[in-house]
Amino acid sequence: MTDHGMDELQSFFDAAKAQAAEPSADLLARVQADALALQPVRSAVVTERAPGILRQLFAAVGGWPAVTGLTAATVLGVWLGAVQPAGLSDSLSTALYGDGTLTVDPQSSFDFVLLEG
Amino acid sequence: MPYDAQDDLSDEALLARYASGDAAAARILTLRLTPRVFGHAMRLLGNHAEAEDVTQDALIRLWRIAPDWREGEAKVTTWLYRVVANLCTDRLRRRPSVDLDAVPEVEDGAVGAAEGMQQQARADALQAALMQLPDRQREAVVLRHIEGLGNPEIAAIMEISPRAVESLTARGKRALTEILAGRKDELGYTDD
Repeated sequence: MTDHGMDELQSFFDAAKAQAAEPSADLLARVQADALALQPVRSAVVTERAPGILRQLFAAVGGWPAVTGLTAATVLGVWLGAVQPAGLSDSLSTALYGDGTLTVDPQSSFDFVLLEG
Repeated sequence: MPYDAQDDLSDEALLARYASGDAAAARILTLRLTPRVFGHAMRLLGNHAEAEDVTQDALIRLWRIAPDWREGEAKVTTWLYRVVANLCTDRLRRRPSVDLDAVPEVEDGAVGAAEGMQQQARADALQAALMQLPDRQREAVVLRHIEGLGNPEIAAIMEISPRAVESLTARGKRALTEILAGRKDELGYTDD
């Protein structure tokens, strides 16, 4: 290729550079929408602290379900202790100790042991 | 980091920011890369609608690969030029023959028109001539003489040796000169 031919060709390349096709606003908008839609989510900085004693105890007893049960039992116990309902007291005594007389006769057992030798 | 301050960052640094969730980096990369990608696709395809599709597709691939991009390994533009060329080659292969609609015609009124119109006529004539070159010659000539890249970078994009790049561009220019010689008078060579 002659120098003259190359100079002429260069004028075509220069013209092409000057007349470069520009992307439309619509294309730019589509590309940007893609970029934002496919962008990974910014990773949040998480500072982890060691759990405190109360939190460890809370986890050790079984979390919220266990704590709820324990609380209910405690409240019932305090209520029974404070009010001491008469009916409940009598029926509990009967259930535990029978009709109210409890006889302990260690002597009779002792005699039996003596007779048997 | 403020929007303006990021304008000075390299494409690779911006891509890393993009991957970490920086929305401003997404906007800057869009404005910076879309014109280059679209311009290159236009020259390889000679068709506006197809060039737009290729541009969007190539950049979607970039957004997707961003989290895995290893800074310092390759230039973003080198990677993009290669992706654009591959996408364009796929489209050109699917065309039944030379798409005459894709070859811009020189307007009749361009002869002896004002300088701006003559520039446009030359740009259109060059595009029409480029479309007659084999794909690889067209890619090499466009990258070297319109995008203004050096042979080593073109070699990296096309995955061939710099010597092969020289050969492709030399043959491409020779063919262009012959094609354009037939339109010498029409395009006002002698006015230079």
